[in-house]
Amino acid sequence: MQAVREFYDDFIRTFGNVLFAVLLFIVWGLLTLVGVVIAQGKDPSTYFDSYAAPLARLILRLDFNNIYHTPYYVGIIGLILLSLAVCTFKRVIPARLPPLRAVAIDKIPLHASFDVAGDPETIRERIAAFFRSRGWNVRKREFGGVEWTFADKHNWARRGVLVAHAGFVIIAAGTTIYWAKGFSGDEAIITGQTVSVPHTQTSIKLDGFSYKITPIITKSGMVYQPVDYVSRVTATGSDGIARTAIIRVNHPLNVDGVLYYQSSYGFAMRFRVTHDGVRVPALTNRDYLTGDAIDLPGTQRSVAVAQFVPTVDRLNGQPSADPRINNPAVFLQIFDNGQASGAGLVPMKSSIDVGGGWRIVPEQYLLVSGIQYTHDPGVALVGIGAFVLLAGLMISFYLLPARVFVRIDRAPGGSRIGLAATTVKGYDIFERQFNDLAAALGTKLIGVTK
Amino acid sequence: MTHTPLDVVLMIIAIGAYVVSALALLVYFFSRDEWLRHLGIPLAIAGCVAQFAQLIARFEITGVWPLLNLYGSLSLFAAVAVLIFIIFAFRYDLWFAGGFVLGLSALFLAYATTWYEGTMPAVPSLQSYWAKIHVPLVVSSYAAFMVSFVISVIFLIKYYFERSLAKEAILATAGGAALAQAPNAAASVRMDTPNIAAAAAAGNAGAQWLNTIPSLAQLDVLIYRIIAVGLPLLTLGIITGAMWAHESWGHYWQWDPKETAALFSWIVYAIYMHLHTRNAWRGMRTAWVSVIGFLSIMFCYFGVNLWISGLHSYKM
Repeated sequence: MQAVREFYDDFIRTFGNVLFAVLLFIVWGLLTLVGVVIAQGKDPSTYFDSYAAPLARLILRLDFNNIYHTPYYVGIIGLILLSLAVCTFKRVIPARLPPLRAVAIDKIPLHASFDVAGDPETIRERIAAFFRSRGWNVRKREFGGVEWTFADKHNWARRGVLVAHAGFVIIAAGTTIYWAKGFSGDEAIITGQTVSVPHTQTSIKLDGFSYKITPIITKSGMVYQPVDYVSRVTATGSDGIARTAIIRVNHPLNVDGVLYYQSSYGFAMRFRVTHDGVRVPALTNRDYLTGDAIDLPGTQRSVAVAQFVPTVDRLNGQPSADPRINNPAVFLQIFDNGQASGAGLVPMKSSIDVGGGWRIVPEQYLLVSGIQYTHDPGVALVGIGAFVLLAGLMISFYLLPARVFVRIDRAPGGSRIGLAATTVKGYDIFERQFNDLAAALGTKLIGVTK
Repeated sequence: MTHTPLDVVLMIIAIGAYVVSALALLVYFFSRDEWLRHLGIPLAIAGCVAQFAQLIARFEITGVWPLLNLYGSLSLFAAVAVLIFIIFAFRYDLWFAGGFVLGLSALFLAYATTWYEGTMPAVPSLQSYWAKIHVPLVVSSYAAFMVSFVISVIFLIKYYFERSLAKEAILATAGGAALAQAPNAAASVRMDTPNIAAAAAAGNAGAQWLNTIPSLAQLDVLIYRIIAVGLPLLTLGIITGAMWAHESWGHYWQWDPKETAALFSWIVYAIYMHLHTRNAWRGMRTAWVSVIGFLSIMFCYFGVNLWISGLHSYKM
């Protein structure tokens, strides 16, 4: 039992220490920085291309290529939340209402003393009135036969750190709700196609997609600036009613609490595939997306749709940088037994001989809209947490809780006033206000500052 | 005959005003000739006004929100840095640091002009009202951190000058035998600068101008106050960015390099704020954290935009 108690005390002492929290912040910051510098979520070969082999191996072994989802990254955030909770209960909450107690005035760096005429009772009332008139909360206590006056300002703002910590916890709760109950995904929808969205009872039909790209001449050369992407869809939700809608970037569509976003666009192809001059319907009546392959029956040969080229330069026959459609073609790659054996840029309606009597003609291109969908039931909580955090920061930074201790002793010919101040942010930050306050009080009481 | 657009004229006026003001306040920093301060202040204000007018003029002329590229955001960055500095300088008599703040602002502004690409329509993801909220907030936080960086560097110069004088004093009084103990003795230097005061009285030129700037304790409070402006702005900037991302990309947080670099900067300044609650760590250590914080901001601003590709790669 003693060992458990000691462990508990050590745990509280460590996790309640601000410097331990700072250490956790440093580790969190460094891990975050690793994720900024090293590209995340790439293919392993990318790291071997970008770094020396031992370094690339180290990156992959330590999961630096996916660092934000590693147990140690999530763990460090967990430790920070734990430290935050312990700090909150052991340091922040007890500090929000500091006890009234006698202090050694001269030992506090911000202090002053006055000798004034008048008996202590009268002076005490005048001092209390002085602080009250300036918005200070005044309380009186007696310790060891000495009367003390305590003036507090912005005492409630001591809760600022508590509010900021609460904001963090609320954000963490909102994020956890998304992990537990949320989902997201994306669909590439070909014009005219209807897709059923996983996890939902919704189907989306792409009625049409359009995009606008404006060519602009800059000092760096021609830039093709995308200006708009528009998907016209028919969405059928859980109520079974089909509704037409438009999805644009920054203007998602909400169906049954799931948001649908315009995220990308592309092209699908339809080919006429013939063998010895005879049309092959199974391969012809299909839509092919970039990356799809046409497997030629009875052979070890396949033709991959490598890339749709919107504009081929009519002068040199090469792909142009212009992403607008004007003389389109498709880049096809031929594979034999999985080995690349040829490639070609094939204009629309032209044919390519892929050997063995097989010919392929790109007949039609179709626009494809990339739609991303997300259901995040924790997002409202995250938003609330963010603003609670911000409110806590504002309270902590812009309001300075300060306490002035006033001790009044009977002195020859009148009273002696001892004045000292403490704040939650040290003494330097309050020095000017304290000096102004002491000077004003001295003037008010017509005393002499010592 | 072609006319130079108004926004370009205003930009030239702003850079010119900043350069002359920076020179005047820099010389003032060393000479303390009051007329130089009286020259520098109105020029700094004029440059700042010209810059805000330039941004408005550019918006009027092009019809495109002017902060969506490096040219526009750097222009706002410099303008807000000067504005924050002017406010603090009037309140806390910070003009001694004006040469550095205005010099940096002029440099950033001159660099901004290298990114001038004429008028470009915004890409779809930037066509949002959030651009008018998120970008100014984030850029303003960067600007505040630049001012705190300058004051932090001045703090560190004064601190290390005092420490070197303390070491010299120990060596002079105790002789070479005290050398081994000098670092420990010098480490006791925290907020007081008695050796600078003594050296200034003895005619040391460096000590004399360091002695005229605020004390280390006052500089520390100033750094805190400016970071207390920057950190809530950065927090609000990250929050509004997350709200925009939720509307534009479907997730409020995508672990994009720009987001994570901003998070890193936020963590650095959170460390600053935590350390600043401790008397023993306030001063030199927190000043270094402030310097590291601004370097992280520069990495977030330029490094991520120019060298690391991600969802925020809007270079032009």
